Amino acid sequence: MIEPCTDVVCSIWSILNQGPMTLTIFLHTLIVLPMVWLYFDEKKKLQRGE
Amino acid sequence: MENKPTSVWTSNRFWSRSAGWVTGVAAVLLILLTFDTMAQITMGTAEDVENKVTKRVPSPIVINYKITYEMDQRRGHEVPIIGGNDGNGKSLFQEKEKFFGRDDWTEEEAMELVNLGKLTVQAKNCMDCHTLLGNGAYYAPDLTKAWLDPAWGPEGPMQAMTGASSKEEAMATFLQNPDKYPTHERMMPNLGITAEEAKGVVAFLKHMSTIDTNGFPRNFGKIKGAVYVE
Repeated sequence: MIEPCTDVVCSIWSILNQGPMTLTIFLHTLIVLPMVWLYFDEKKKLQRGE
Repeated sequence: MENKPTSVWTSNRFWSRSAGWVTGVAAVLLILLTFDTMAQITMGTAEDVENKVTKRVPSPIVINYKITYEMDQRRGHEVPIIGGNDGNGKSLFQEKEKFFGRDDWTEEEAMELVNLGKLTVQAKNCMDCHTLLGNGAYYAPDLTKAWLDPAWGPEGPMQAMTGASSKEEAMATFLQNPDKYPTHERMMPNLGITAEEAKGVVAFLKHMSTIDTNGFPRNFGKIKGAVYVE
């Protein structure tokens, strides 16, 4: 999935933005997964009546 | 208490925490991207050209070289090649090309010329009609890769029309009296560009065509003859 960088100036962003898939996986890891964790964290707190 | 039915979706706290998280991550990403962009748009130097190092924005000294636009199969779009292709889609910085009769413009001279061109482009407000690197209007043709437009080349109609013997002279002649050379239904007005300013604008356009814009403007390569084929 991660291929050698082909951009002129190689950086982490050019590697992540090779195609839509790598960028999607990156942003989901960074944003969506923490939100899933927030969801269950809030659920636990609400059930405990906090 | 553990199994008390609860709906997190209606909880204000969940949404405010989520909004805080997303805003925070997006802000950090934007800051990191800004630093990354600063590094990428920093202009290269004459030493880079001597050492055959390709920069996204090369030194203005590249006006001494032949510029082509070639398909890069790995990147999936055309890229500017300075001074010939090494066979792997990288610039060789070897093949020179006379620019207004010279191919030994120093970095300072080239920078001065490109700067004069940039200031002229700003003073005459070219972006009112044209697009430069994604900024401006689409009333008139996109100028980002104008230097590579085959219309100005030896096979194109512009050299014969302006009576010039080279690409840069054809462009400079046209710029000084665009109203004399109808090229389009929407004719370019005479903006009172002087001979020296026209030279600068052409240098600016040539330098801009060497900037690696990740294939922007899209479909430029579809102009017949725009992409160099060995």
